Amino acid sequence: MIRMLDHTADVGFELEAPTLEALFEGARQALLMTLFEEPPKGGEEERLVRLSGPDRETLLVRWINELLFFVQEESFVPAGAELRIREQSEEALSLEARLLGVPLDLEGHGWQGEIKSATFHGLDVTPGKDGWQTRVILDV
Amino acid sequence: MNIEHVSGFKYRIPKEGKMRVDAAFYASEGILEDLKSEDYASLRQICNVAMLPGVVEPALSMPDIHWGYGFPIGGVAAFDSEEGGVVSPGGVGFDINCGVRLLVSEMGRKEVDPSEGRLVEDPQKNRLADTLYKSVPSGVGKGRKDTAFSRVDIEEVLLYGACALVRRGYGEPEDLENIESKGRLPGADPKEVSERAYQRGVSQLGTLGSGNHFLEVQYIDEIYDEEAARAYGLEEGLVTVLIHSGSRGLGHQVCQDYVERCMDAAKRCGIELEDRQLAAAPIRSSEGEAYLRAMAAAANFAFANRQLITHSTRQAFASAGFDPGDHHLRVLYDLAHNNAKFEEHDDREVLVHRKGATRAFGPGNEELPERYRSVGQPVLVPGDMGRYSYVLAGTEGAMSETFGSSAHGAGRKMGRRAAKKAAKGRNLRRELEDKGILIRAANRATVDEEMSEAYKDASEVVDTTDGAGIGKKVARLRPLIVVKG
Repeated sequence: MIRMLDHTADVGFELEAPTLEALFEGARQALLMTLFEEPPKGGEEERLVRLSGPDRETLLVRWINELLFFVQEESFVPAGAELRIREQSEEALSLEARLLGVPLDLEGHGWQGEIKSATFHGLDVTPGKDGWQTRVILDV
Repeated sequence: MNIEHVSGFKYRIPKEGKMRVDAAFYASEGILEDLKSEDYASLRQICNVAMLPGVVEPALSMPDIHWGYGFPIGGVAAFDSEEGGVVSPGGVGFDINCGVRLLVSEMGRKEVDPSEGRLVEDPQKNRLADTLYKSVPSGVGKGRKDTAFSRVDIEEVLLYGACALVRRGYGEPEDLENIESKGRLPGADPKEVSERAYQRGVSQLGTLGSGNHFLEVQYIDEIYDEEAARAYGLEEGLVTVLIHSGSRGLGHQVCQDYVERCMDAAKRCGIELEDRQLAAAPIRSSEGEAYLRAMAAAANFAFANRQLITHSTRQAFASAGFDPGDHHLRVLYDLAHNNAKFEEHDDREVLVHRKGATRAFGPGNEELPERYRSVGQPVLVPGDMGRYSYVLAGTEGAMSETFGSSAHGAGRKMGRRAAKKAAKGRNLRRELEDKGILIRAANRATVDEEMSEAYKDASEVVDTTDGAGIGKKVARLRPLIVVKG
C-alpha cells in the first residue's frame, strides 16, 4: 500500500508491505510517483546496486537517495527493480538490486521537479499488522 | 507547551521537560492562527532544537516559520562550543547556503515593460523572458553546455567561492564587496567533500534548480524608508533582478553524507535526539569540524552558483537588446538563508544556525560594505511569484534579540500536492499574464506548486518583522518576468 503525503514544506509517502523487500520496492514506486506525472514502466537498461547500512532506516534513506542519484544525475529512470535485503545482524543490513529502466525524458514522463533528499525526519521502519510499514518525508 | 505573550509580536515558550533554554518566536494574529491550525507542530520543532547541548538562549523562529524536518523553516539557534555546543547538518538544511541575490539596474520599468503590463505580447519583454529562460537552465537532466568546469575548477570554487569565478571573468570585482562574507566562507576544505558530491556539482554550477528557486525581473514599486533606500541606491520604478538558488546537488550530497556521520557522533557522545534529522555533533569533535569544513565548501559553491547566474543574467539582458552600459546590473546584496556561521553576540563567539532565516546585521557592523554600514545590511525577503518581494534593513533589534537574524520569505501555507489540486482547471500562466507578469517555466507542475495562494502573504511576514523591530521595511518589488526551473 502506498499513500502519498503532503506537508506544507515537503512531500512524502506512507508504505505498508508484507516483506521488507516489498516495502523498499514500494518506496521506489512512490518516489517515481513523486518525480513524474507518468512514471515509465519497464525498460531495458540495467543497473546493479549494492548498499549496506547499520539499520533499516539508514538503508531505506540510502536506497531512495541512490535512486534519486540515478534519475537526477545520471538521467536513468529505474522503472523496475528486483531486490534482496539481508539482515546479517541488528546492526548490519545489505541490499542488492537489479534495476531496469529507461533514459530520463523530462517532457514524456511529466517531470514534476527535483527532490533534494530523503530525510530521517520521523522515520521508522517497523513491523506492522501485515508485515512492514514506514513513513518517508522528502525534501523538495 | 506554554506560550507567553511578551509584547506586540513577541512570544516566549518557557523551558520545560528536556528543553535547556526558552524558545521565542514572532507572530501577528494571523500567523498565530496558522500556527494553531497546525497544532503548533513547527513551534514544537523549535522546542526540540532548544533541547540540544550548548544551545544559547533563546532558540528562535522568525515570522515566516513553517513546519520543516528536524528544525523548522525559519529557525535560528546559536550554540556555544565552550559549553559543549553542537553543529547540526539538519539545522542548516540540504540546500547549504541557499540564498538570494538582488541586482539593481539603472533602467526604469518602461524600458523593459513599455506597455506597463497591458500588452502580453510585448516583443521586448518576451524576448528578455525567453533569453533569460535559455541562459539560466534549471540543471535537471542536463547541465550547462556553455560552461565546462573540471574537477580542479570545482575544487577552486569550493575554496574561493564567488571570487574563483570573478577571477575567470564571470563578473566584476565590485560584485564581491556586496556578497555576505564577500562570497567566500573561510575554513572550506574540498577534501571533506565526497566524490559523489563532486560528481553532482560539476555540471550544476550556474543552474537554478527547481521547486521554489527562481529568477525574477521586477521593478521597485514602493519605497518605505528613504534613508536606507538612498544608501542602497533604490529608487521607485527601477528594474531589479532577484535570484534565488543554492548549492545544488553538491550541497545536498554534503548534507546527506554528514547527517549520517553526525548521527554516529551523537550516539557516541550521548546526545539525545528528539528526531534523527536533528543529528548533531559537538562543534569540537572530528565529525563537527569536518562538517563545518565541508559546509563552508558547499557554501562557496552556492556563492559561485549565484555569481555565474548573475553573469548569465547580464549576458541575457545584453542579448535581448539592453546595452550593458545602460542596464548596469549591479549586485545590491547576496545573502544566505541556510547556513551555520561563527559570529560574536553578547561578547561571546557562537555558531549561529539559520535554516530558512536571513542574517540581518544592524547599523555599524564592520562586516557590512561601507555604503550600507550606517543603515544596516539589506535583507531580501522574496514573496510569491504573483505578488511582491521586499527589501528590508538589518536592525539593532535583530542584533540584540535574534542573533542578527530576520525572516527569509513568505512561507508556504499549502502543500505542493494541495496546490496542484487547487490549480486544476485554472490557467495560472494566463492569470499571471493578466497581472502583467510573464512566466517561463520548465513545466506546469512548477507553476502550479508555486502558485500565489500556496504562500502566505509576504506583507504579513514583513509587517510582523518590521513591527517586532527585527528588520526595517525599505522597499517593495513587483514581478515583471518569472523564470522557474
